[in-house]
Amino acid sequence: MKVSNLKVSYDETTVLENINFNVEKHLCILGSNGSGKSTLAKALCGLLPYQGSIQIQGYELSSLPPLQRAKKIAYIPSKMESFEQFTTVEEFVLLGRYPHKASFKNYSLEDKNIVKEVLTELSLSELSPLRLHALSSGQQQLVLIAQALAQKSSILIFDEPTSNLDPKNTALFVKELQKLRTTFTTILITHDIQLAAFFDDPVIFIQDKKAELFETDFFQTEHLSKAYGINFKNENGLLGVAYE
Amino acid sequence: MNKSYLWLILFSLTLLSPFAGTASLDFGTIFETNSLSQRIFLELRLPRILLAFVVGGTLGLAGLLFQTLFRNSLMTPFTLGVSGGAVLGAGLAIKLGLTFIFGLSAVSLFGFFGAFSTVLLLIVLSRYLKKAEQESLLLLGIALSFFYTSALMVIFYLSSFTETATIMRFTMGSLSVVGYESVLTISFFSAILLALLYFKRFELQLLSISDEQASLKGINTKQLTYLFLGVSSLAIGVLVSLTGPIGFIGLIIPHMVRKVYQKPVSSLIFPVFFVGGFFLLACDTLTRFISVGSEIPIGVITALIGGPFFIYLIISKQK
Repeated sequence: MKVSNLKVSYDETTVLENINFNVEKHLCILGSNGSGKSTLAKALCGLLPYQGSIQIQGYELSSLPPLQRAKKIAYIPSKMESFEQFTTVEEFVLLGRYPHKASFKNYSLEDKNIVKEVLTELSLSELSPLRLHALSSGQQQLVLIAQALAQKSSILIFDEPTSNLDPKNTALFVKELQKLRTTFTTILITHDIQLAAFFDDPVIFIQDKKAELFETDFFQTEHLSKAYGINFKNENGLLGVAYE
Repeated sequence: MNKSYLWLILFSLTLLSPFAGTASLDFGTIFETNSLSQRIFLELRLPRILLAFVVGGTLGLAGLLFQTLFRNSLMTPFTLGVSGGAVLGAGLAIKLGLTFIFGLSAVSLFGFFGAFSTVLLLIVLSRYLKKAEQESLLLLGIALSFFYTSALMVIFYLSSFTETATIMRFTMGSLSVVGYESVLTISFFSAILLALLYFKRFELQLLSISDEQASLKGINTKQLTYLFLGVSSLAIGVLVSLTGPIGFIGLIIPHMVRKVYQKPVSSLIFPVFFVGGFFLLACDTLTRFISVGSEIPIGVITALIGGPFFIYLIISKQK
């Protein structure tokens, strides 16, 4: 994914401008609340109109038909929303196959098999007949990932995936993410410095509508402190905010 | 509540339906050509049964669609002021003394334009709302309904006694019908709506999660939403202009079917249509059984049965 001179505006208010970066394998997007991280993520998914260029595997994002776009990028929101209480895990994950489904037809046997495989891969098979509202937030997060995997897109964008998870579920999520990173390009948006430092990917730090790219070394206390404007400390390899 | 009970109750009332009414039907002579019973059956009872069924089904479907599209169980064409628009249009036609325009009933035509322009107005107004403000749309609908009611009051105030009675009659909703013209007209639009929802059921299921999720899966959400709203308001506009407003079906049937079937929207299209159809038919049968002399308006019955049943559904705990 190659982004050049990107400018994103909401109702004539410019949220981000002059953004340039190139994702080879993985990327982490950091920034304070309201800095425009999610806006950038939405633009990268093709949900927002933009100026400049976002190229994915040689194609300009805005010129890709929606279904083709969905086959290349999947977005995993931080929280599961659903108006319908009675959708089961299996039915929900099957929706990830929508871009591959022939129009006016039902989901094929192949689609259903892919869903089964994905659920087995994420150890969710036992949950498949359960309804979404019966799941814990940790399970819901995994189900959202399962749906994205069923979509078979090569780029996965995670929007604050751990913000609703307890430490145990965060650890489970990280374990899954590690596995996924071997086959997918991932873009991780997060506030969790420890998590971001663990993967140590190139970082885009967003501030004042601008984005700065740090290929390496972002997770050193002096860089972090300068970027966020607060003090960070590193005690025995444990990175965190130095509370006063 | 279990599926088989629901169907059993609805079916038995349907079987009784042809025999309910002021004129009694003699089962023995019903198959005799040109007998009175046969004429009552073919020209009054059968069209009415079909009308009740297709009207109930369409109202249920439109309710299901609006609730899913706006992800709010209070959103129906009726709570959004669409029926109010139709009633105002019809009232205006009656007050102006219009009877026929281009060979079509003026009351129906004005009613249709009232309903359809309300939907267009809501679509235009909703463009000024942010995505998360679906509740504001409901408030807009309620505001429109109040406005229409007051405008109708002004028409009442300016009308003669006969005009007022005619308008009142329309606002109560009615399934009284002779012949098949209304049935065929409504069925045509209803079939289009049913087919659209069925063929786009998986798109609808994605829209029930969020517009964002639907877009991410490759759906042109704006285009599809306008198509859904356009086709459904056309069906509702035609329907209300012919039968007057019949409330509660669009609100309770999707709820009831969702609770009983416990399935996502993609599997509810036909159940909602059939339960809606049989429910209104059952209500209409009941109306004809208990009416003495003049008929109790159907809207009164749907609300009288629907209201308490709806409360039961909301408070009863389901697995």
